[in-house]
Amino acid sequence: MANKGNTDLEDLGGVVRLREENQKVVKNCESQIQHWKKVLDDYEALRDRLRTLPDQLCYEIMVPFGSLAFMPGKLVHTNEVTVLLGDNWFAKCSAKQAQKIVEHRMKHVGNQLDDVTKTMKNFEARVGFAKELETMSANKGDYVDIREEVGNNDSAITKGKQRIAHKPNSKPKMDVVFDLKEQDEEDEGKSGDTGSRKGIISEEELWARLDELERLEELQDEQDRFSDNAEVNGEESSSSSEEEKETDAAPPVNGSSLKPSWSSVPHGVQPLTDRKREEEDGSCLPTIFFSHMVEPKKVRINTGKNTTLKFSERKEQKENSKRKKKNGHSNGPSHHELHRITTPADIYRLFVDVKNGEPIPRKSILKSRSRENSVCSDTSESSAADFEERRMIGRSFSHDELTHSDTSDGITEEDSPTAVPLQTPSRFEAFSGLVVEKDPMPSGVPHLTIVPPALPTILERKQEEVAPDVPPPEQAPKRVSKFKAARLQQK
Amino acid sequence: MGEAIQKKLKAEVEKYALMQKDVSKSVSARQKLETQLAENNIVKEELDLLDSSNIVFKLIGPVLVKQDLDEAKATVAKRLEYINGEIQRYETLLKDFEKKSEQQREILTSLQQDFQKAQGLAAGKV
Repeated sequence: MANKGNTDLEDLGGVVRLREENQKVVKNCESQIQHWKKVLDDYEALRDRLRTLPDQLCYEIMVPFGSLAFMPGKLVHTNEVTVLLGDNWFAKCSAKQAQKIVEHRMKHVGNQLDDVTKTMKNFEARVGFAKELETMSANKGDYVDIREEVGNNDSAITKGKQRIAHKPNSKPKMDVVFDLKEQDEEDEGKSGDTGSRKGIISEEELWARLDELERLEELQDEQDRFSDNAEVNGEESSSSSEEEKETDAAPPVNGSSLKPSWSSVPHGVQPLTDRKREEEDGSCLPTIFFSHMVEPKKVRINTGKNTTLKFSERKEQKENSKRKKKNGHSNGPSHHELHRITTPADIYRLFVDVKNGEPIPRKSILKSRSRENSVCSDTSESSAADFEERRMIGRSFSHDELTHSDTSDGITEEDSPTAVPLQTPSRFEAFSGLVVEKDPMPSGVPHLTIVPPALPTILERKQEEVAPDVPPPEQAPKRVSKFKAARLQQK
Repeated sequence: MGEAIQKKLKAEVEKYALMQKDVSKSVSARQKLETQLAENNIVKEELDLLDSSNIVFKLIGPVLVKQDLDEAKATVAKRLEYINGEIQRYETLLKDFEKKSEQQREILTSLQQDFQKAQGLAAGKV
């Protein structure tokens, strides 16, 4: 409002000036009109004089003598008039000719007068407009400046339009939503006796859900952009957002709260969010979205970051989450979600799925073992190396256990001596500060083959040398320490 | 830095003022010529209306000199042409002056901007 007031004042100032200038011009025109009128009157008088002059042969008049005296005299040759034509040109004419000239000039004067009156009227109109503008800007007059603010995201009306603005990624999610809706409709149809009413209600709910989904999709898209660091954030928030999709309830608040908590929070708080997420997973229908958003976490980050949770405190939570996730995965749509690529994360997940052959190891076995066996170090500042370690852990486990990968032979052979899960952490300790991999997934398998025997970095080699020296029994007490040490090394 | 710019600004402003004077001079001269043109047109018309019986005089100083009608007509015509030519000349002059003043104005604005920036920087520093 202050800005508007300022602009009004400025506008007022400009309008006032405009009005004043216009008024000046109007006054000028008025004076000119007066002048020309006077001239016209003079010419009329002259004309009359010229008309009457030839009536007599001579006139007796009092001739002005200087400025103070008069003298009686006669006016003769009254028909002869010397007319000033202009520009120091004179012409001797008869009275009648003079009359003609005078009339001619009167015409000119009349034209001038007309022009001036026109301009005056013009400027008078401008003055009036300026006055109106002034009153309008001051909001005093009857005229009001109509301004309408464009509102965004009003649900019912703009749904179609919002859909037009959809991004391509959203479509499959829309399908998912439709699946949900179908389920919901089915449920509603089953539950409700008044099917028509419930159908209508379901439609309304569908519209509301669509809006929520659209918003969430936008959020997800934004999150997808911040993939590297904020993967967890995005995933969690997306998972939470997806949960929102399913529950038209408080989770949006939680999800929004999660998001800022993610972005601003150091790793100390992450476990809390993990907890929240997990709890929410249990409360809602976590299966669909949670699965495909969580899995990468499980593979890369969860193994790493979820290990921020201390074993003693969060094992139970993890187990509960695992159970919930397992339960979730048991649902049909979750499987759909698992195998359906809707986002790049899905690709990642599927890829990992393909590589590992089963979703389970990532979730359950790997996590449990990784969590159980791996040192729970706060990987808040850990690089991708740690993630890759975790991932390699998982993969190695998978390979060890499932032998699904093509390169599993070498790995299993190599890993067989270290098949004991206890030993792998030592190796992974060796790799803790070392892995430089940036593309975990595509290079995952070869890395799995290569990594255990030799690593590109020298440090890794050294630690490999060192690692076997570390006695396995030390792992139990050192679980916390090794990863912390690794972290310290990294720092 | 700011002072140097200020001096430059003043110099440029003076130049601009001179240019504006030239412009206004040429404008006023042109206006005079315009009026003379109108007057001479009227005279021409009047002379055309006159016939040979009328005697035409020309005021040269305090003297009214008798002129021949045809001569007068010719003279007036020549004067008209002269006035037209003068108007054309003054028009071109005016255009040149206006261009120069525009350029000067641009220089002024740019200098003013620099000056304001310098002042802003100084204010920020201070």
